[in-house]
Amino acid sequence: MKQSKAERFLRDPGRYAHHDRIFLNNPVIMQGMGLAPLVVLATSGRSALMLAAAVALLLTPSRVISYFLSKLVPLQEHAGEEELRARLLPRGLLYSGTAAVVYMAVYPVLDRLFGVELLTLGIYLPMLVVEPLLIYRYGRVQETLRKAVSKGLRVTVGYAAVLLLVGCIREWLAGGTVFGFAVTANTVLLPLAAMPAGGFILLGVLAAMWRALAARYKAFLTNEARNQVIVNHQKEARGER
Amino acid sequence: MNTAILTAQSGSVPETLGIFFGYALLAVFAQNAVFTRALGVSRLVQLVGDERTNSLLFGALQIVTQLLLAPLAWYVGGVAAAAGLGPAARPLIYLGCIALVSVGELVVLYLVRLPWQRQLLRILPLAALNSCVLGTLLLGRTQSFTLTQSMGFGLGSGVGYLMAVLLVTEAQNRLRSQSIPAAFRGMPITLIYIGVLALAIYGFTGHTVIL
Repeated sequence: MKQSKAERFLRDPGRYAHHDRIFLNNPVIMQGMGLAPLVVLATSGRSALMLAAAVALLLTPSRVISYFLSKLVPLQEHAGEEELRARLLPRGLLYSGTAAVVYMAVYPVLDRLFGVELLTLGIYLPMLVVEPLLIYRYGRVQETLRKAVSKGLRVTVGYAAVLLLVGCIREWLAGGTVFGFAVTANTVLLPLAAMPAGGFILLGVLAAMWRALAARYKAFLTNEARNQVIVNHQKEARGER
Repeated sequence: MNTAILTAQSGSVPETLGIFFGYALLAVFAQNAVFTRALGVSRLVQLVGDERTNSLLFGALQIVTQLLLAPLAWYVGGVAAAAGLGPAARPLIYLGCIALVSVGELVVLYLVRLPWQRQLLRILPLAALNSCVLGTLLLGRTQSFTLTQSMGFGLGSGVGYLMAVLLVTEAQNRLRSQSIPAAFRGMPITLIYIGVLALAIYGFTGHTVIL
């Protein structure tokens, strides 16, 4: 670990973790966003892939367009209750409306990519336009364009990672296959995994394991950063740097 | 549930009422928004950890929103389908309906002094813009519900969501127990609890998800 990174990490470990939308601050595992499609639809690698493609095409573009449009109804950093009450609804409608417009452009692309299979996503595909994953920014202060792009991409990767992981595990448990390829042939380990109830339980267990690993990794990083800073101070004291 | 009641076309008043309440019951129990379709579950998980928001008030506001939306969305959805607007335009059409209803509610909340006016104004966007509301409207369209069926299903969906919110909120004291491993506390144990409740509902009604 570099000295500057170690110091930055030790100064505010929470902030460091906040930027990592894939592991330490995954939008699904840590914030519970985008659960409905995960629980009901991510029952196979293929459907998880279709959902991931839809989110990839929707999330960042709609976030960037919303960034420009939300300047019409800005939300200040220390907004009072009155301002919040007056602005949250228009901002929410603006964010979800933007996602719905982007959806109109994205739908033909998805249709071309997946054809009739797209119908298996049912109401969960159009429902993405009101998923907190896409519109949660309406209740937050104005972000910069750079942040809108980079966070949009990181959230997409984080969500897609969980989608594919859950999809593959459920397909394996419920059907013994992963992306259609036999893994444990003729052995159905847990048929419940294909049902929403199984999705809830599996996601709960996965979230607990993920959170435990993230906590351990954070502790490891803190230790590493602390050691790095001590070693560098010792080197400086000995005049090696 | 008597399928004859559910499939009957609207006719006399008792028959219409039968269809209305039949669909409402269907949406509360057999097709519960949260337990069978996970609709609005992200919001539910946030809601149970939010001390500032009254779950009962949130659920009540959502029921009113869904009941008001059902006839409007049924009409507009029908007009849009007749005009040849395909599935790509559906979210925008229904969001337009949600915008109309929620702005109407906002105006009423500003004009009429209710005891929890401040909190209702704060939670209105959360109650209007969630996947339970939009999902119910989209289901009505994909299953070609009649007006009565849409309204019954809308009411039942809201009541079912409220029931789920109350069940999960009620269990929070036990779910925060120290005997639960630290990694499971919070969202993970809430999801597992919802899963177990969903299993109990399957025991009574069986399980098929109509997407």
